[in-house]
Amino acid sequence: MRGHSEKAAQFLKDENRADWHDQTLWMVRQKRDVAAWSVPGWEDLREEASQIKDHVLSNLDNYLLQFEEKVIENGGTVHWASDAQEFNDLILTIIQKNRAKKIVKSKSMLTEECGLNPYLEKNGVEVVDTDLGERIIQFRNEPPSHIVLPAIHLKKEEIGELFEEKLKTAKGNSDPQYLTAVARSHLREKFLAADVAITGVNFAVADTGTVVVCTNEGNADMGVHAAKVQIHCLGIEKIIPGTKDLAVFIRLLARSATGQPITTYTSHYRKPKPGGQMHVVIVDNGRSKLLGNETYRNSLKCIRCGACMNTCPVYRRSGGHSYNYVIPGPIGSILGPDSDINKFKDLPFVSTLCGSCTNVCPVKINIHELLYDWRQEISEQKILPLSKRYLMKIAGIVLAHNTVYNLSGKVARWAIRNLSGKLIYHRINVWGRERELPEAPRESFKQWYRKNSLERRSGNEQG
Amino acid sequence: MSRDSILKTIRQNKPEFTPLQKYLEVTDPKSGRELLEIFEKSLNQVGAQFIELSLNEEIDTYLSIHFPEAHQIGKNGFWDQYGADCSKEKLDQIDTIILEGQLGVAENGAIWLDESDFPNRLVPFIAQTFIVRLDSGKILSNMMEAYCRLNLENTGFGVFISGPSKTADIEQSLVYGAHGPKSLLVVIY
Repeated sequence: MRGHSEKAAQFLKDENRADWHDQTLWMVRQKRDVAAWSVPGWEDLREEASQIKDHVLSNLDNYLLQFEEKVIENGGTVHWASDAQEFNDLILTIIQKNRAKKIVKSKSMLTEECGLNPYLEKNGVEVVDTDLGERIIQFRNEPPSHIVLPAIHLKKEEIGELFEEKLKTAKGNSDPQYLTAVARSHLREKFLAADVAITGVNFAVADTGTVVVCTNEGNADMGVHAAKVQIHCLGIEKIIPGTKDLAVFIRLLARSATGQPITTYTSHYRKPKPGGQMHVVIVDNGRSKLLGNETYRNSLKCIRCGACMNTCPVYRRSGGHSYNYVIPGPIGSILGPDSDINKFKDLPFVSTLCGSCTNVCPVKINIHELLYDWRQEISEQKILPLSKRYLMKIAGIVLAHNTVYNLSGKVARWAIRNLSGKLIYHRINVWGRERELPEAPRESFKQWYRKNSLERRSGNEQG
Repeated sequence: MSRDSILKTIRQNKPEFTPLQKYLEVTDPKSGRELLEIFEKSLNQVGAQFIELSLNEEIDTYLSIHFPEAHQIGKNGFWDQYGADCSKEKLDQIDTIILEGQLGVAENGAIWLDESDFPNRLVPFIAQTFIVRLDSGKILSNMMEAYCRLNLENTGFGVFISGPSKTADIEQSLVYGAHGPKSLLVVIY
């Protein structure tokens, strides 16, 4: 598997696309700011949300039990899955029991995490992703590159060509209005034909057994109300105590995600439709273990708004696919290594540690601090590539010894001025691969400072 | 089996109990007129249209002139025709519907409806044009006030709707009518 830097380099080859990606996500971040600042007491609201999540994590077992009891009381069925395999099997069993062949699904990062689509397809079940962005990447056989804007890595011309092939749209027409209208009628057919609808869950309210799903397109509702069987896939950390807590999170979610004051639809599913079935599958898949990790437990507070991605200078300039993990960007770079430290060991280094992610997170996860913690842990476990390990070791020695530091500065300044580019940008200098070194001054900052502070002091004395 | 092992791991791993704090006070002393103005501004922002009418007859006349074919709740046997067992294909033929909203939220233009307001859960989503009547006295300031007023235990399905169905999944270009209604008109009285 290629690491983040190789994949990012690939993404950056198309400079226009990379610039567009960067600017578009920054625009979304700015919309988030406008939306946030329009709410009096926004910062208090973030703090409140963070505290609610602290409370929930400290009482998670009891809230899950309360939720389960309520769902059953309301006429629904609750299933529990320890891991991805069990989750996929459970869904397939529900589908097979109902002799269903056609499935529609609205966005759910949990089903991406568990690899539900390929599993169902392998077992002869057709799954149609109904969010427009998700349908686009499903046609392309790609994972989403962003958790809220799944097809943000694509240009409209590419989508136009894709629809020409898949939906027989007019050649050369890539007008978003036109393409969306064609997708609407294509997907409406799928909605009307589906036997089972699968959704993710934004919030599960324990005291009433309500499943809350937020969409702009209305695809969750079209699916759920048209199909006989509805299945909601719930990660254990999505539970909240009651309706007042829901108010806090709904006020934060869309504003943080896209800068909208609320999503178009905020749907509250509590009982199955007359003659229908409502299933809730509660999924662990590593979350209960993460709960026991004092350092990284905070990452379980995430409500999947994507604000940390939109603001991240590295995400914006490298694209979601470069991260390899199902959830890209800053929060994914914490969750990835937790799921498999060897596979995702490079992700905590995919950050400038600028802290912008922490500043926008609606539930106040200390994202950049957790990334820093992962770096320490990964370094201590000695699983970094050799080149990085030796460089770190050398850097450690240089920075710890005054004379060595002064001397190496001198050598470096001389080398940049006098050696040929070939030697300086040699392939062992990984840092120089994508960057120009600055012009080297003749003296170090230390020397400059000593000279200037002396001069100023003598100047002051004269004055 | 998995249920017990998940719960067991959670019990072993959960942090020390942190009590739930008191909720922030968010009651808003604004007058009805001020809230209505904020609500209308939010409707604009989320792509909904609105019109203020005062008398019941005025509303009826307006709707019958502009939407003569619309299915209206409480009229012409709409409820019986499109009930819970109505076929999806028949529901798909609905062009315009007129429903009554239970409450509106000023800060985001959202309107609450639950399944007591429509005969079939698909109705508010499958129609091409959606008209909601809303009593201006039922506009609240924000989501906290709205949720405090609602009782989720009273319904099997309920939804906040804010504007027409929309998507920006192609190059962030905003398009109305992704899957649900292409337009939403709020008739405020």
